[in-house]
Amino acid sequence: MSERIKSVCIVGGGSAGWLAAAVIAARHRAGHPDDIEVTLIESEAIGILGVGEGTWPTMRNTLRKIGVSETDFFRECNASFKQGAKFARWASGAEDDFYYHPLVLPEGFPSLDLASFWNHYATGNDSVPSFSDAVCFQEAVCEKGLAPKLITTAEYGCVANYAYHLDANKFAQFLKKHCTAKLGVRHVIDEVDEVALAGNGDVSHLVTRRNGDLRADLYVDCTGFNALLIGKALGVPFRPCTDVLFIDRALAVQVPYDTPDQPIVPYTVSTAQTNGWIWDIGLQNRRGVGYVYSSAHGSPEQAEAELAAYVGPAIEALQPREIRIQSGHREQFWKGNCVAVGLSAGFLEPLEASALVLIELSVEMISAMLPATRETMPITARRFNEITRYRWDRIIDFLKLHYCLSERDDSDFWRDNRDPATIPDSLREQLALWRYRAPGDQDFSSNNEMFPAASYQYVLFGMGFKMDLSERSYLVRDTGRADEAFRRTAALKEKWTRTLPKNRELIDKILEYGMARV
Amino acid sequence: MHLVELSRQHHGGLRIDPARIGEQAARCHMVPVVVSEFRRALADFPIVLAKSQDTGQFSPYALMGLAPEENLFWDGSRIDAAHVPLNLRRLPFSIGMDQQPDGAVRNAVCVDMESPLVSKAGSEALVDGEGRDTAYFMEIQKVLYELLSFRLATEQFVQALAARDLIAELRLDIVLESGKPLVLTGLYGLDEDKFNRLADADLAGLRQDGHLTLAYAMLLSTARIQSLIDRRNRLEGQDRAWFQ
Repeated sequence: MSERIKSVCIVGGGSAGWLAAAVIAARHRAGHPDDIEVTLIESEAIGILGVGEGTWPTMRNTLRKIGVSETDFFRECNASFKQGAKFARWASGAEDDFYYHPLVLPEGFPSLDLASFWNHYATGNDSVPSFSDAVCFQEAVCEKGLAPKLITTAEYGCVANYAYHLDANKFAQFLKKHCTAKLGVRHVIDEVDEVALAGNGDVSHLVTRRNGDLRADLYVDCTGFNALLIGKALGVPFRPCTDVLFIDRALAVQVPYDTPDQPIVPYTVSTAQTNGWIWDIGLQNRRGVGYVYSSAHGSPEQAEAELAAYVGPAIEALQPREIRIQSGHREQFWKGNCVAVGLSAGFLEPLEASALVLIELSVEMISAMLPATRETMPITARRFNEITRYRWDRIIDFLKLHYCLSERDDSDFWRDNRDPATIPDSLREQLALWRYRAPGDQDFSSNNEMFPAASYQYVLFGMGFKMDLSERSYLVRDTGRADEAFRRTAALKEKWTRTLPKNRELIDKILEYGMARV
Repeated sequence: MHLVELSRQHHGGLRIDPARIGEQAARCHMVPVVVSEFRRALADFPIVLAKSQDTGQFSPYALMGLAPEENLFWDGSRIDAAHVPLNLRRLPFSIGMDQQPDGAVRNAVCVDMESPLVSKAGSEALVDGEGRDTAYFMEIQKVLYELLSFRLATEQFVQALAARDLIAELRLDIVLESGKPLVLTGLYGLDEDKFNRLADADLAGLRQDGHLTLAYAMLLSTARIQSLIDRRNRLEGQDRAWFQ
C-alpha cells in the first residue's frame, strides 16, 4: 500500500487558513486514534491582509457545519447581515441610477421565467418597476434598512436569504479559538524559513525557526499574496486576467459611525466611480470603505480625491491604506502535495464577494476529496484544478458582465471595459443568446457553477439590458402565472416591510439575548 | 391596555367583575405559566415552550387551543379546567417593574384600567368598609406573589434546557375527524431523544437544580395534546350536528 495521508499542515493564519483548518478538522477529527492530524502554522511577524469582509449565504452553512453558534459569531466578529449588493451609478452613471443583486431568487424561479414577462411589460414602458424590485421582495426590505429575519427565527434560519459582513481580523481570531479549543487543531506560532522540496517535487518539510522541521502529508498554502509554497517554492506561475478586469489598486479605510445607534445598512453598496468603484460595508461598530481602481486609467491622487468625496468630512481623521493587487490566479491550484487556498490561489476585485466563498468551496472540496493515499493524490489534484479553474473563469465572466454593459462614458476605464476584445468568449456567447431569451439553467449546466442564472438576470436587467422576444412572443402571451407571481412579490413586500425589524435593532437584540438554536 | 400603578388612594373604590375573565381567556390559545404551577397545569394542558416576539427567548406556556385566538377550555361561561393558569386568574392585575433613580428595580401591582373586568357593576371590591383588603383581593395578591416568586426559577429552568440543547420544535400535524388538516407551528418542547441520551453529569446537574421533575412534567404533558384534539373534534361535531 502506498503512503497514507494522515496529516495536513496549513500555512498561514488568516481567514483562509483558519477556515481550512476548521472545515478539515470538523470532518476528519472525530476523536478517534486514526484521525487526521491538522496543524496550522502562522507567523508572528506577518500580519493578515484582513480586508475580506463580505460573504455569501454559503457562510451560514459553513459556520453551522464547523459547529459554531451564530450568536457567538455576531458577538465576536462585529458581524452584520448582508442581503445582497446595491450597485449605484453603474449603468448610466446618473445620481439616481441603481439596481440590486439580492440574495432571494426571482419569484417562481426557475420553473417560471418571470424575466421574460418583466421584459415584455417593461419594453417601451418606463413606469414598470425595475427588474430587481418587480420580481423579488428583498429590495424593498433593503431600501427600508430592515433585517432579514426576526428575533424569533432560529440561528442560521431566515425570512429572506442572507450572508454576512464581518471583521476579517476578528473572524480569524474567532475561528482560531474554535479550532484550537473544540476541533483539536494544533496551532504553531513560528516563522517558516524554508520550504524544503523532496526529489519528486513534493514539499518535503517546512524549516521553522523555533520548532525544527514540520512535516505533513498535505500542505495547504494560505500565505496570502506571498504564495510561499505554491508560488515561491513550487514555482506555479500566476496567470493574470488584467486584460479582462483592469482593477489593480485598492485604497481602503475604516469609517466610524457618527453615533452608536446609526443605522447599519443591510447590504453591500458598490458605487461606480471614474476609474473603478467604491465598496461600502456596514459592520456593527464601523463601515469598511474602499476604492478599487485601475492605475492605468487614473492616478492615486485622483482616487484619493474621489474616496474623500465619497466618505465626506470623516476622511480628515483617517489614513487610507493602499493595497496593490493583481487580478488573476495560479495556473494550477493543487500541485504535488500542496494546495493553495485564498489569496495565494489568486485575487479578484471584491465586487461579488467571491474571495471568502472560493475559500469555503475550496476547503470543502479538499476536505471531501482528501485522498487516502499519496498514490491517488494526483487524481484528486487534477479534479480539484479543473473544478477550481472552472469556478474562477465563471467569476471572471460574471464580474466582467457588470462592466461591459455600462453606458458610462466619463472615462477610458468604462469605454475600455466595453471593448469586445476584453470580453471573454464564454461571456460573449452568453450575451449573444440572451439578446433573444433570458438566462436560464440551461446556460449553466455544470455541478460547479458559481452564480445561478438568476444572478445573471439581476445584473443583466439591472444594467438596463433588454431582450428582443419578438421571435418567441407566444411564450409571453399568457401572462396569468406571471401576473400572479408579481402579485405574490407585492404581497411579500407588504408583509415583510411591515414585520421585519430594523437591521441594527435586530443585531442589538442578538447581542443582548442571543438567537435560539431551534 | 392602560396600566396604572394601584394605590389605595386612587383605587379604593374600584370594583372588579371576575366573571368576565372568560372574555379575555376565550381569545388566548396560550397562557404563560411558571414552574410552580406545572404540576397543577398538566392535569389539563400540554406545557409547551414558545418564543417571545420581542426577545426570542423561550418561556413555558399552557396550550389551551389549537389555533391562534382559540381557547378550547372556554365553554361560554367558564374555563373548564381543574387549574386556571395564574396568568388568567390575576386579571386585570399584573406586576410591573419600576426602575428607581438609584437603579434598583421595585415591583408594583398594576391594574389595566381598560380591561372589561374593571366595571362599576363588578361583584368584587378591593377593600371592605373598614379599609381592609377583601378576601378576593388577598387571593389576587397571592396569585401575583406566586408569579413573581417563580419568575426567576422559570427562566432558569428554560435556560437549563437551552444550554443543554434539549429544545426542539414540536411539529403538530393533525388531521381532525372532519378530515380537516391542522398544522400548528412555533411550538417547542423537550427533545426526547437528546434528553434520554444526556450524559450523566448533565442529568445530575438537572436533578440538583430541581429541573428534572419539571422536564419530565413538560415531556409527559404533551399527551394532553390529544385531549385538545378531542375537544376540537367534539366542538366541530356539535357544529355539524347543528347544521344537519
